Amino acid sequence: MKRRTVFKSLMGATALAPAALAQAPPAADEVIKIELTAADAVADPRHKFFTPQQYATLVRLCDLLGPAYNGKPSAKQAEAPQFLDFLLARSPADRQVLYAQGLDQLDIDARLRWGRGFAALNDGEAGELLAPLRAKWTWKAPVEPLARFLREAKSDVLRATVNSKAYADAGTGSRRAAGMNTYWDVIE
Amino acid sequence: MRQDYDVVIIGSGAAGGMAAYVLCKAGVKCLMLEAGPMADMQRHRSLKAVYDLPYRGFNKPGRFPHITQASEFDANLWIDEKANPYSYPENDPFYWVRIRMVGGKTLRWGRASWRLSNYEFKGKDHDGFGENWPLALEDLAPFYDRVEPLFRVSGRNEGWPQMPDGKIALDESRDSLSIQRFKAAAAKLGVPTTKPRRATGTLASSVNLLLPEALATGNLTIVPNAVVREIGVDPTTGVVNAVHFLDRRNKREYSVPAKVLMLGASTLESTRLLLNSRSRLFPNGLGNGSGVLGHYLFDQFYVKNTVVAIVPEARGGKGDRALMGGAGYIPRFRNLKGKEKDFIRGYAYDFGSGGTPNPELLPAYGDELMKMIDDLQGAAFSMTTMGEGLPRYENKVSIDPALKDDWGIPCLHIQQTYTENEFAMAKDAMETGAAACEGAGFEVLAKHWEMVPPGESIHEVGTCRMGADPKKSVLNGWNQAHEVKNLFVLDGSAFVSGGSQNPTLTILALTMRASEYLMDQKKKGQI
Repeated sequence: MKRRTVFKSLMGATALAPAALAQAPPAADEVIKIELTAADAVADPRHKFFTPQQYATLVRLCDLLGPAYNGKPSAKQAEAPQFLDFLLARSPADRQVLYAQGLDQLDIDARLRWGRGFAALNDGEAGELLAPLRAKWTWKAPVEPLARFLREAKSDVLRATVNSKAYADAGTGSRRAAGMNTYWDVIE
Repeated sequence: MRQDYDVVIIGSGAAGGMAAYVLCKAGVKCLMLEAGPMADMQRHRSLKAVYDLPYRGFNKPGRFPHITQASEFDANLWIDEKANPYSYPENDPFYWVRIRMVGGKTLRWGRASWRLSNYEFKGKDHDGFGENWPLALEDLAPFYDRVEPLFRVSGRNEGWPQMPDGKIALDESRDSLSIQRFKAAAAKLGVPTTKPRRATGTLASSVNLLLPEALATGNLTIVPNAVVREIGVDPTTGVVNAVHFLDRRNKREYSVPAKVLMLGASTLESTRLLLNSRSRLFPNGLGNGSGVLGHYLFDQFYVKNTVVAIVPEARGGKGDRALMGGAGYIPRFRNLKGKEKDFIRGYAYDFGSGGTPNPELLPAYGDELMKMIDDLQGAAFSMTTMGEGLPRYENKVSIDPALKDDWGIPCLHIQQTYTENEFAMAKDAMETGAAACEGAGFEVLAKHWEMVPPGESIHEVGTCRMGADPKKSVLNGWNQAHEVKNLFVLDGSAFVSGGSQNPTLTILALTMRASEYLMDQKKKGQI
């Protein structure tokens, strides 16, 4: 139905049928539920923390750590890199250093071994640099900074993916898929 | 004309709530001061999707350096660490986990409800370490008997001396096959197993089980947002005569007369308040003639996920409800008949079947990791250790002269470290737990004995301990200050030792007993 037709039919109905008076503007004291939309559904977030090179490395790392699987979106589709850029911009200094140095290290190692940045490596080449992620788990974080960074990044990328709207939309629509839980407001 | 109160109660959690419950029902007029606000469960809570939270469930970075339990969903429930600071030695962090709200930590407690046994009450008699409590299980048992039904505790009575039987609803549920296998393997190692023992119901809190009945008597007045700064003392008699507090929101100062004070602000807040209440008669803190106030801080060390294992038959999505699911508990079993190991006292475990192991534990990433997660969905079995920390004089709290909170009240410096005894226990727990899992035919995926920092278990107790000897303790066997007859300290600060059992049930029982003792003393004109 075209807009004009809809308009006409509404006008006609208002004029003819008393029941349609229910569609009149709400009373002044009636509270109407207003539909709202989250900012990330309509706009691209601005990068705040990583340098362009670090960000390119992070995007490639997200590709490797969080591939699309079984109909669920990849980390990239879940906009995990953008989210982590935002999160790291607000994180304590030690975590910022861990991420910045870890991404730099991956890129430096890639250039030394293959003459190109981490973002341009194929899966096999990148896999060699991600070898610490195949090591047996220990309670204490690894002492080696790159291994420590990779361990944090693996966990963060998966979490940022699973907790995304894209992941919930691809799920069963259940509360569990959407990560529904009881939220406590600020209590003054 | 203002109401004249018989008793002032500080705190509204397990201790304060129970004091109000007992005293108000007996006709005693009580004023309760709570530092936090009242949560309206309908208005302040709502369902949200994790992607709708500002930080996608990661929590605001840096908001809770010490409260690992806080999620982005419940972040507003926990204390603001910046407004309520404390300090600790540079390399010995203490994780002080607090809630300031009507109901206190009973809004979030784990609900495990074990009685202490005479292995704790009379620990010194058993192995020579520390001090005995000035009471025995037999003294507290009648109160446990009344608290357990009130908190709808469910579990199993096994007749074991280290795990006293209770007045509980019997849990007759059938164990899953994986739990049965684990129990059989544990039994071969001489390790006893039982069902969890927990308070049940949708909410098991002071706000629904204690305060409503107290309020219904018309004898209870609750003032929220009342941050107590100091306890006033009559300079002639040395008894408590007033409580000085500030409104949390606007810092306006108030004083209220107090004939009797029941202090239940939580273990370390109560001790902080006593240490901050100095006077000519009590220059080192109220009731602290012994110098013991602040000392003998201890908690239970936790080794989270000591062992994580896989039940092989549950791989590939085959872990149906007959095979997987359910949980259990292992009470202390070490050193019951003498010193069997290179440590004294003992530890307990919680264990559970089901769930998927944390991807962090799996040595893979990408597609390979996703396939592993698929394969292991619902196939995990895990154990967490809770071990007894020994009460030591050198583990203590004191006032940090350089640190004040947002209300100008001096803050605590907290000093607690674990020692070889706790480390040896943790190592033994890891090896024993792994052996039981292997005996059951499970694949051990990860094991470790690294404890979380002191305090993180939220079972910190001691610092204002009971005792028969006023030179070695602050309180007598009725939670009453040796030196200040009208002061009772009801929370975990009164503990002499703690075993590996969660402390809340014992705090509730001790408070019920102390409150009835107070009424008895009042009748006799002793207070």
